[in-house]
Amino acid sequence: MTTSKTAAPARLLSQVAGERQTGALVVGGHPGGAVYVLEGRVIYAESPAAPGVGELLTASGRLAGRTWQNALDLGTSTARVGRLLVEHGHLTQGELELCVLGATYDAAYFALSPANAPVEFLGGATHWLGPVVHIDPAAVAREVRRRTKLLDEIFPDPRVDTAIVTPVPRPPRERITLTAPQWELLVHADGQRTPADLAQLLGRAGYPTIQELRRLAALGLLELPEVRPPDVPEFVRLPRARGTAVDVRRPQIRAEDSPTVPVIAGVRPAAPGRPPAPAPAPGPVPIEETGANGTVYRPPRLARRKPGAKLPKEVAGEAPPAAPGTDEVLLKRIRTALRALR
Amino acid sequence: MAIPGAVGASIVDYTTGFPVATTGAAPNSDHEAAAAGTADVVQAANSRSLFVSALPHDLLEDLIITTAGGYHLLRLVQTEFDSRLVLYVWLDRTRGNLAVARRRMQTLVNGLVFH
Repeated sequence: MTTSKTAAPARLLSQVAGERQTGALVVGGHPGGAVYVLEGRVIYAESPAAPGVGELLTASGRLAGRTWQNALDLGTSTARVGRLLVEHGHLTQGELELCVLGATYDAAYFALSPANAPVEFLGGATHWLGPVVHIDPAAVAREVRRRTKLLDEIFPDPRVDTAIVTPVPRPPRERITLTAPQWELLVHADGQRTPADLAQLLGRAGYPTIQELRRLAALGLLELPEVRPPDVPEFVRLPRARGTAVDVRRPQIRAEDSPTVPVIAGVRPAAPGRPPAPAPAPGPVPIEETGANGTVYRPPRLARRKPGAKLPKEVAGEAPPAAPGTDEVLLKRIRTALRALR
Repeated sequence: MAIPGAVGASIVDYTTGFPVATTGAAPNSDHEAAAAGTADVVQAANSRSLFVSALPHDLLEDLIITTAGGYHLLRLVQTEFDSRLVLYVWLDRTRGNLAVARRRMQTLVNGLVFH
């Protein structure tokens, strides 16, 4: 019943639909998603990049979070969450259908647009929402292709769809006109949120969000993630690459440096509950604390200081990326430029 | 069809120009092209004209395009959640009545959402 392979999700969908199967087509990768078919017809789709029916209804204030949760509690096991909402008078059939239809096409875009992704078909699986709409899979596939084309006509750069949304600090022209959805996106882009985060936060469908972002990118209002030629990768990539690299190495370094640390670190998780633990703690506490805090932020800093002591000149130049400010990058760029002048 | 003189109708997602549902005829017998055109017109009215934003919350309600042979009516479907749909009705100019059609469309849109 289960097929797992790397393939074009849309092709597998048409295959299972042709065989009038029932189940879930689960698409891996980024962002991935799942398309649910009932006897060969698409009944729902979901993706992390597209708010689902629940998010759309609660984020807009149409349903109270509690109402939605109740329907989930009651109807999930029997796959009739959608029907319950209508039966209990929280939603009209029309609203439910329009909402499910919109959410399905929206998520289907993210699940089915990759040309290649790990795909798995879970035969017999159904969605807890229950069958609300029944869509021809060929229509879904056609629409996915059309939406892909539409995006490329606006601004042919798919990086916009997944990268963290960063508005340019200074617009490239004197006067700019924004639509209301574009304003919403820019106001909520805090330098951390991806398009998917913004869609979830605002209760807006995922595809129109990406559409607006591509329009903003076309206007030059978004900073695009840098793709650097291999000879100058340092300025932008260093801070990130270092962070992850050091995180991975750190446990190894510690194990070599002092065997006591891993031993205590191993004891620690159990320690807070035990009375005798505080006694052995005092000696190595500072190390321990850096270890505990460092799981997120500190280890990279510590690890940078060590090589910094050995190679003062070079690392003094490189150390600033620890606090990744643009100033350091700028300084370095200016230095390189000056050197080139000589 | 509940609207006298209606030749065809569709519900269109105006962000993508996708015909969610169609019935009857479409201009040039092409519902998809009609839907794409519908979406363009709504987008233009919504984002590129000054009529819509004269007052706060003065939102676009409907658009009427008149040709020698017909009326093309576009009415936005207002839902509380994010849906971005527009109802499009193509009306025969001699058999149709614009006022009746507008009222019927309003009822139809409400019925779509509230029933």
